[in-house]
Amino acid sequence: MTTTLTPPEARAGKGAEPPAASTRRRDLLRRLGPFGFLSPTLVLLIILMVTPIVMVIGYSLMDRVITAPESNFVGFENYGEVLTDPVFMVAVRNTVFFAGASVIAHFVIGMGFALMLNSPMLGHRTKAIFRTVYILPWLFTIAIVAVLWRMLLSPNGIVNYLTETFGLSSGTVEWLSDPSLALPAVTFINIWSGYPFFMVSLLAGLQGISKDLYEAALIDRAGPVKQFFHVTIPQLKPIIISMALLDFIWTTQQFALIWMTTGGGPINRTEMLSTYTYKLAFATYDFSVASAAAVIVLVLSMILAYLYVRHQKARD
Amino acid sequence: MSNGARARKAFMAGAAGFAIFGLAACSSGGTTTDDGSTGTDTGSGEEVTLEFAQWWEPELPEGMLRGLMDQFEEENPGITVELLSGPYASTKEQVVAGAASGTMSDVVGLDGAWVSDFVQQGAISDLSALMTEAGYDESQLASQVQLNGSTYMIPVVNFAYMLFSNQDLLDAAGVDVPTTRSEFEAAAKAVTTDDVSGWILPLSLEAPNGIQNDVMSWVWASGGSMLADGQPDVTNDEVKSAVEFIAQLDADGVIAPGAATLKEQDKVEEFTNGRVAMMVSSLAHINTIRESNPDLNFTLSALPAEDGYTGERGTPYASWGIGVAENSEHKAEAFKLIEFLMSEAANGELANAANAFPGNSTAVPEFVENDPMFQTAFDVWQAGYPANEFVGLPVAEQLMRDFSEQFQSMLAGEIDVDTALANAQAAWEEEF
Amino acid sequence: MSATTVDAAGVPTREQVVRRHKAKKAALIAALVVCAAFPAAPIVWMLSSSFKTNGEIFAYPPRLVTSNFSFDAYVAILTDPEKLRFFFNSYLIAGAVTVLTLAVAVLAAYAFSRFEFPGKRLINVVVISVQAVPPITLLIPYFGLVVALGLYNTYPGLILTYMVFTLPYAIIMMTGYFNTLPRELDEAVKVDGGRPITALFRVLLPISVPGMVSVGVYTFMIAWNEYLFALTLTRTNDMRTVPIGIQLLMGQHAYEWNQMMAMSVLGSIPVLVLFLFFQRYFIGGMSAGAVKA
Repeated sequence: MTTTLTPPEARAGKGAEPPAASTRRRDLLRRLGPFGFLSPTLVLLIILMVTPIVMVIGYSLMDRVITAPESNFVGFENYGEVLTDPVFMVAVRNTVFFAGASVIAHFVIGMGFALMLNSPMLGHRTKAIFRTVYILPWLFTIAIVAVLWRMLLSPNGIVNYLTETFGLSSGTVEWLSDPSLALPAVTFINIWSGYPFFMVSLLAGLQGISKDLYEAALIDRAGPVKQFFHVTIPQLKPIIISMALLDFIWTTQQFALIWMTTGGGPINRTEMLSTYTYKLAFATYDFSVASAAAVIVLVLSMILAYLYVRHQKARD
Repeated sequence: MSNGARARKAFMAGAAGFAIFGLAACSSGGTTTDDGSTGTDTGSGEEVTLEFAQWWEPELPEGMLRGLMDQFEEENPGITVELLSGPYASTKEQVVAGAASGTMSDVVGLDGAWVSDFVQQGAISDLSALMTEAGYDESQLASQVQLNGSTYMIPVVNFAYMLFSNQDLLDAAGVDVPTTRSEFEAAAKAVTTDDVSGWILPLSLEAPNGIQNDVMSWVWASGGSMLADGQPDVTNDEVKSAVEFIAQLDADGVIAPGAATLKEQDKVEEFTNGRVAMMVSSLAHINTIRESNPDLNFTLSALPAEDGYTGERGTPYASWGIGVAENSEHKAEAFKLIEFLMSEAANGELANAANAFPGNSTAVPEFVENDPMFQTAFDVWQAGYPANEFVGLPVAEQLMRDFSEQFQSMLAGEIDVDTALANAQAAWEEEF
Repeated sequence: MSATTVDAAGVPTREQVVRRHKAKKAALIAALVVCAAFPAAPIVWMLSSSFKTNGEIFAYPPRLVTSNFSFDAYVAILTDPEKLRFFFNSYLIAGAVTVLTLAVAVLAAYAFSRFEFPGKRLINVVVISVQAVPPITLLIPYFGLVVALGLYNTYPGLILTYMVFTLPYAIIMMTGYFNTLPRELDEAVKVDGGRPITALFRVLLPISVPGMVSVGVYTFMIAWNEYLFALTLTRTNDMRTVPIGIQLLMGQHAYEWNQMMAMSVLGSIPVLVLFLFFQRYFIGGMSAGAVKA
């Protein structure tokens, strides 16, 4: 917070005004102004977010924190342990697949549904009904999403019943326990539960696109496909990028869904960074190493966030 | 001051320090280190409020545990008990977090698999010292969980694991309830059809206690052990023969599909719906099954042993255990509560409500006398010895998970039995 | 069919245009109905399970409506004062989080949107990336902090916690929304001698209602559905929320499947109503915020 008192010489343009005392005070106020608006946010985030994160960073440099009476500074030893653990690499690979596939599918499905729901052919009431149906998966706490899908996908569940009845599969498919199906299955569940957020944002974005652009495209004899790629997508690009970034960050820390459906199994086929960290912390009580893993995730996402902010800056 | 307490104090100081820093920098306000664990005042003659954190209350008939507490309060004027209940699946995290910040409840419900970790963390008290102080007669306790010669957990009630058989399915296939492994294999094969599996094996990694209840139980039932001198020994012949036996059942195709993600609750649902002929399960499930499917005709028996084994059979069990928080300011009162819960009358009542066997060695719950099925079970329990080698082991849950991963790998055909056991042994040695 | 109705010149008649439009509309509605199975089918199954007995839920072959169809699960929940308290807590906490998050985020977003100041980019990066730390690793230090601040087992403890989770997103969205509003609006206020805060409250806020509604609904959902911290930061059941109530039905030995399903159906209804009520604003608001986010 001390930075507020010593802002660097900014706003050079204002220097043209006479340096009267009152102006200087107003200038100071103007510089402090933004921090006045930001202060509730900063107070809250510093006390309740930055503090625990700093503590976690501290833990990551010590050994046997929390669970043992004495802990010592060990430098980056815990980081070494995490980075050389083959399971960590498996977790990174699975997480990237899980989050990447989820984000792409959220986008594709969200976009498809948004386009359909945005059609001018539909009346307001019809739209309202369908919109409500299409956001349903968003309304349920993740624990319920997990148990619901466990039920649906269980060997004697409704999904197997339907696929067998319609002859799509012979015999029982072990959706969640077959080592080769588990990761796609949990990814599918996450796609189901997460697409409405994308859909709603895209739907909103679609309504913000000026009709003139489509009319201009029509004059150029652009068909629906061409319109989509030359008008809709470029216009929505800022939303798509923001949503994709946020969705990616949120999906990488999806814990409850995976834990309650597969527990990271079978074997380690659905092990994610989140389940890996959880097991370190609460199954082996290795909070130091768990903290190191968390810090690695934090650094990776800070890089992502930095690229994003820079991209925004460049666009402005 | 114990080491654990010192660590917690340092931790709290750190947290409070950060908080003071944050508050001083940005707004006014003080830090109140309200440990929240106990009531207002200490000292003799004054009111004491004991917190009792457990997951039992939602498992028991409504108002049952509260009723016992009322009785305790009546017998011990000046002590009131506040029951704090949480979901079973999250109990462990809550205790760990509570211990780290010194807010653990005075009396806590424990699972044997957690004891070693909590002792390590300095979270739970040495009950031997409290028993000595209170002049308690230990002989009435059926069992105690000890580490380094001191008791840290007392099993209040025990849930024995036995073989549940769907009698109608066995009769239709013309087989008897199996008592040996080869009989079991034959029976499982005989009942297995397109819609029915002989046996069910839950190996979920979320709650990996299937390894304890459904895999290692076969070892213990034949008098075997997975440890040697307290160290891991899962490559021994006894474990190997049990694992090979299960691998054979899998090869026979008699195990219900989906093992890798099944949990104990799923196992019971499948059995209840008549899709599985036999399961190894907790007596706590008798009532669940009866409620869900009153028509199901099932029987209980001891877990089958190796062919020709005539020794005493280990009966696997899980407990609702109890311990006292190291940070409690009312340890003497806390022990009074334990004493009460372990007394013949209260313990019998609790066991009765939970359909479990009492931790008090003389209590006989009513259900045993009134229900022939429980009578059978009680006889099996008395004839064998309680066996659960995971109790008191460090990171017991992770040990089960390590073993489960190897086991799944083996069932998926990726590695053979010897490799799986060698890998599990290596993983366990690392955890110890 | 088209061969007979298209006239000689190949120009569709007015009647044909209308008919083609109708056919397209019918096709679209058909597509929407078919696709609705994707979001809705699992929910229908949840609803169906909430009316079954526990034994029937796992019966094979599965049935949508069983002979024991009953509202028992709903009755059990709605007559249990402890469970009703969970609902009350969830409303109270989610409502407070929504209002406070909006208030705080609006101020911050105004600063981000209208001012240049040192450290802006850094604060931005921090605000976005703090969301990425796995909450499970923060649990223990966070818990210690909340206890040290005397917020353990209090509503403010949970409300402030959820604000920390919802603020980053709310700030990002509100900043984007303010960016879409022309700066001339607040300049005019300043010319009249008003202070920046006047511009915010008199001019920007009244036209930002849709944006605030969209952020508000999102915030409400997060606070409504959170589980881990709701459990850890509370001690007694009278402070706990619906997701914990649902988890309490998942016992050590057996799950109360029908009650779990009924409780989540009941829990989703208020959010559904909220969405229905606000959706016009919601959709409109998201667009502006998101475009420039």
